[in-house]
Amino acid sequence: MSLRFAAGLLVSVLAAPASAMEFNDKPTTEQAAFFEKKIRPALVEHCYKCHSADADKLKGGLALDTREGVREGGDGGAVVLPGSPDKSPLIKAVRYLDATTKMPPKGKLPDAVVADFERWVAMGAPDPRTEAGGRKAVEKPAPIDIEKGRSHWSFQPPKAKSAPAVKDAAWATSEVDRFVLAALETKGLKPVGDADARTLIRRAYLDLTGLPPTADEVESFAADRAPDAFEKVVDRLLASPRFGERWGRHWLDVARFAETTGKTTNFNYPHAWRYRDYVIAAFNADKPFDQFVKEQLAGDLLPGGDPTTKAERTVATGFLAVGPKALNARNGLQCLMDLLDEQSDLTTQAFLGLTVACARCHDHKFDPIPTRDYYALAGVFKSTETCYGTVRFVQSQRPSALVTLPQGSAQASITTKLTDAERAAAEKNIAELQVKLREGDIIARLLTSAQLALARSKLDLYEKDGTPKLLAMGAREGFRPANSPVYARGEVDKPGEVVPRGVVRVVGTNQPVIRSGSGRKELAEWIASKDNPLTARVMVNRVWLHVFGRGLVATPDNFGVGGAPPTHPELLDRLAVSFADGGWSVKTLVRTLVLSHAYRLSSKHDAANVEADPDNTLLWRATPRRVEAEVLRDSILAVSGQLDAKPPVGSPVAAAGEGPSNRPRLGPAGGVRPDAETPFRSIYLPVVRDNLPESLALFDGADPSLIVADRPTTNVPSQGLFLLNNPFVLKASDAVADTLLKETTTDSERVRAAYLKFYGRPPVEKELIVADAFLAEYRKVAAKGGPPAAGPPRGPFGGRGPGGFGRPFGGGQTPVRGEREVWSAFAQALFASAEFQYRR
Amino acid sequence: MFSRRSMLQGTASGFGYLAFAALAHEAAAKEPGAAKDPLAPKASHFPAKARRVLFLCMEGGPSHVDTFDHKPKLTVDDGKLFNRGRLSGAKLLASQWAFKKRGNSGLWVSDLFPEVAKHADDLCVLNGMATDLPSHPQAFLQMHCGVFQAPRPSLGAWVLYGLGTENANLPGFVTLSPPANNGGPANHGSSFLPAIYQGTKIGAGGLGRFGDTTQVSNLKNPRRGAEAQRVQLDFVQSLNRDLLAADGANPGVEGAIEAYELAFRMQAEVPKVMDLSQETKATQEMYGVGGEGTDRFGKQCLLARRFLEAGVRFVEVTAGGWDQHRNLKTDLERNCTGIDKPIAGLLADLKRRGLLKDTLVVWGGEFGRTPTAQGGDGRDHNNKGYSIWMAGGGVKGGFTHGKTDDYGFEAVEGRTHVHDWHATVLHLLGLNHEKLTFRHNGRDMRLTDVKGEVATGVIA
Repeated sequence: MSLRFAAGLLVSVLAAPASAMEFNDKPTTEQAAFFEKKIRPALVEHCYKCHSADADKLKGGLALDTREGVREGGDGGAVVLPGSPDKSPLIKAVRYLDATTKMPPKGKLPDAVVADFERWVAMGAPDPRTEAGGRKAVEKPAPIDIEKGRSHWSFQPPKAKSAPAVKDAAWATSEVDRFVLAALETKGLKPVGDADARTLIRRAYLDLTGLPPTADEVESFAADRAPDAFEKVVDRLLASPRFGERWGRHWLDVARFAETTGKTTNFNYPHAWRYRDYVIAAFNADKPFDQFVKEQLAGDLLPGGDPTTKAERTVATGFLAVGPKALNARNGLQCLMDLLDEQSDLTTQAFLGLTVACARCHDHKFDPIPTRDYYALAGVFKSTETCYGTVRFVQSQRPSALVTLPQGSAQASITTKLTDAERAAAEKNIAELQVKLREGDIIARLLTSAQLALARSKLDLYEKDGTPKLLAMGAREGFRPANSPVYARGEVDKPGEVVPRGVVRVVGTNQPVIRSGSGRKELAEWIASKDNPLTARVMVNRVWLHVFGRGLVATPDNFGVGGAPPTHPELLDRLAVSFADGGWSVKTLVRTLVLSHAYRLSSKHDAANVEADPDNTLLWRATPRRVEAEVLRDSILAVSGQLDAKPPVGSPVAAAGEGPSNRPRLGPAGGVRPDAETPFRSIYLPVVRDNLPESLALFDGADPSLIVADRPTTNVPSQGLFLLNNPFVLKASDAVADTLLKETTTDSERVRAAYLKFYGRPPVEKELIVADAFLAEYRKVAAKGGPPAAGPPRGPFGGRGPGGFGRPFGGGQTPVRGEREVWSAFAQALFASAEFQYRR
Repeated sequence: MFSRRSMLQGTASGFGYLAFAALAHEAAAKEPGAAKDPLAPKASHFPAKARRVLFLCMEGGPSHVDTFDHKPKLTVDDGKLFNRGRLSGAKLLASQWAFKKRGNSGLWVSDLFPEVAKHADDLCVLNGMATDLPSHPQAFLQMHCGVFQAPRPSLGAWVLYGLGTENANLPGFVTLSPPANNGGPANHGSSFLPAIYQGTKIGAGGLGRFGDTTQVSNLKNPRRGAEAQRVQLDFVQSLNRDLLAADGANPGVEGAIEAYELAFRMQAEVPKVMDLSQETKATQEMYGVGGEGTDRFGKQCLLARRFLEAGVRFVEVTAGGWDQHRNLKTDLERNCTGIDKPIAGLLADLKRRGLLKDTLVVWGGEFGRTPTAQGGDGRDHNNKGYSIWMAGGGVKGGFTHGKTDDYGFEAVEGRTHVHDWHATVLHLLGLNHEKLTFRHNGRDMRLTDVKGEVATGVIA
């Protein structure tokens, strides 16, 4: 549908009730004669020059030489509101009373002619013309039928049907299992056997905490014969603070969390880390998901709460603020519309699994979402003030305020009190810069103004008395609510009909009415409602995806017509209903899934099943998958004993403060320090857009400029190069070597200890032989030392080495330094092995 | 430099190899042609015109009516109302750059490409291109993978799968500065093809600017020589093969095993290939290396040539920032200037080295732009008609295939859908697009899905 036509259509839909009149399609003979005698000649004489097929340039996109043209209006929307001359832009223009639009531009029409036009509009603008003119009849696809669109499965309310009967009732230990097994049985497939205890506990640790179990934890679980042994482990892991760091990261992927603006100039968001910590805490506290939704969209508007709660809810709205932004945008309106677009896109994809942003320029191609709905939603954010900070700087013209949290609200601070001496020094510096601002050429002055901006931003971190302010990114109500026009083709210079703030109409029938304020609260409540057919389904699907490796809906961000249909629709519905009815507890949902029999399956290959279901969509086994970048990095730190599990306060970006991210003081790579220098869990690494730490970027860490629901897994040589050569891995390997050398004495003891550390299982006989052969061979090449060998390396080791496994170490045959290198190489090989990197 | 064969033999004598060989054999039985060395050069279906591909990918959709599709009527009707499809009511916008007939062939090229225009007699311009949707992520994915609705292997992965590669010490498919958006890694991914066929990314792209191509990191072990590392890696690989044997098939682990071997060999080979100082000053200058605005893309083109010369099968270079909804005049000019000299240098260099005749060079974006204006100085996306060009590799030079209507809105003659273009590229490489298949989900999958017709008219 052409946008202009859409705008015209909207006029007839929207304006009709007000004017209580349609366009007059059946003019009487008198009315037709009136048009021919009075109106057509006036149009020809005064208007056609600019508003017809003969115009050099059609002005304002308005053609008045056809009936359709009159009715569709121009770039700015309708010009004739039938029956309402006073409201019709055309009449306002010819009356010469409108401030901006006076037509015809050369001079006001005689009053009699103006009166004719008024009369004509009052009678419904009868127009007997049939000929094509300035805008020939165009193919007009049928307008979106929202009611009909509601028939799509995901717009229907989920129904909680009970689980179907299954043949192998003993296998299905939970309701989830009955759904899964029924689908398998329908296809004649049989699930593989269960994973062994060691594989299972490792799987649960990786899935729930993102860290591997220690050797002791594996051993005690493997020895625990109690029927509820696994349940106990799962409950312990769910209660661990590591759970929030693991599952919070999943949400941060979706929330496109980052600590810089990205895009053109990449300025720091020094306060973004508060939102990160909020998300981690929310998952740890098992904050009900509906509450989580409401806080992120409208935390500042939720009633009640003590200062701590209020501060937390304000920080939650950082969700709307931490997105990518182009701070050097020239056009303010364009910049605003891009911000609203980013927020609308995020909100609808993250919570509703809909790609509403497609409707910015045209009605959605697949889903029943017209541009009107897009701009209704955009109006909500237009009425909101987004507080993201940043400073006015070279190439940064669009800083905003930040939110100041109340003191005593239990929010952490990264700085200590500013002393009077420090303040005096800072103020002196600012004063000097202000003087310097008038010196030098333009470049020098720009540099000074940048220094000044940074100096001021530093001082702005403190209250008058030197107490550090508690600053946060977030959202608050705008100065006054403002509806958005529908911009034709998304172009900001083509505003059309203004639409009231609202939500996506095809979703649910309980549409909120926004009477006052931005409407964020209403939007949040509408999303976080049991009546919303999408919210619970979309979140259940996200949780399922992270537990089983593949969503029930394979397109977790698209539940629309263009998305994939669910593999187990009734299971999805059942889980969604239980989730919402049971208080939106993510931990309960995770627990339900992890305690299912389906979760305990082994990852064994089965030729017949592969043939029938190669992608394992029906869950006949556990699909082995490489752990995510953060899990790999954290596992390397944990196994090597280097992990500092205590969450750091703030972030290197916070420490660097406002300004462009790429500055010498942030390190050569713009805030990203070498991995080997940071012992914290990966979720606490600085997230600089377009500049992720290498350990994350190489292993498919989520691009923080994108809303990422399901990370891709690539398999490329650069990952191998990282594991073979990067100092981070070498350092960790050295640490493992030191421990092995200190705590154990024989080769076989060391190999055994390493297998337990890395894989959570002891080596089998054959593996001891293989390890022994490696050690022997490596000792030989290591003893040679010297520079790297040129030319082809000699063939790898053949049989067993001279030492034989079990050979006691320490007899002085090999220098300790050499042994450290040998065991470091051994440890590194285990880090580099697939078994370490796979969740099986 | 050790050869791939000796390398494999070396590995073959290691323990654990038997188990691996058995598995590889199993895989080979399932998928004929996927022998134990999945990257070994393979015979094409029929004699090939081109042996390698260089895809100069212009992310964002460069305007065809301002570059390679001359539309005099658009100039005449500047400012008039356009009445077609979704553009109805928008005003036509004449190109602000003059077109001239170039070379002996008289091929039309605008003044945006004065240097490339000197190679007009080598260019085969496809003016009737079409793709399904005027939306970046979909069209960009379609250009690379054929379809956007489901994950599919990319063109480069298919080519590598079909032909293997000539240099076992380098990745067979290299992509320089690909974008993170618009499908991101999927655009050089292998999807259901074995993971070893996916593109190796060097440097990262970015919207609105040319991507940065840095050295491949972690190429050198700070403490371990090649021999010691080989011993270590053999151990890693034996662990991996054991895991594979225990689990049965696992494409991820199979891919990792292959990727490790490649990583190891790359350590010796890549630094040599990426060392641009091996090139003479004159050659560097030819590509615009060191020149203002041309340095980055010039380096990438030179790097691409070095990779191709070293035996890499498929090289892609992405230059982003062609989405001129606004600032058409300044931004399109800046972009074209940034790539004009580098591409001209590249073509000249390939020619003098005798590489152009069997290297297919492709220039193009995911779609073109509208003949109508957007905000006075911009053009919107246009999927119905746009231009790409090819050179070398068995295409007709100084030739125009297909055409759009009077305004460049829609392909009206010689319409070449992306599927057809893919079929044509494969054909030039000696591959029948209907026979280059991989069984997945019970179906013999193809790059061209169920479509694609070779544009035989472009073949010399």
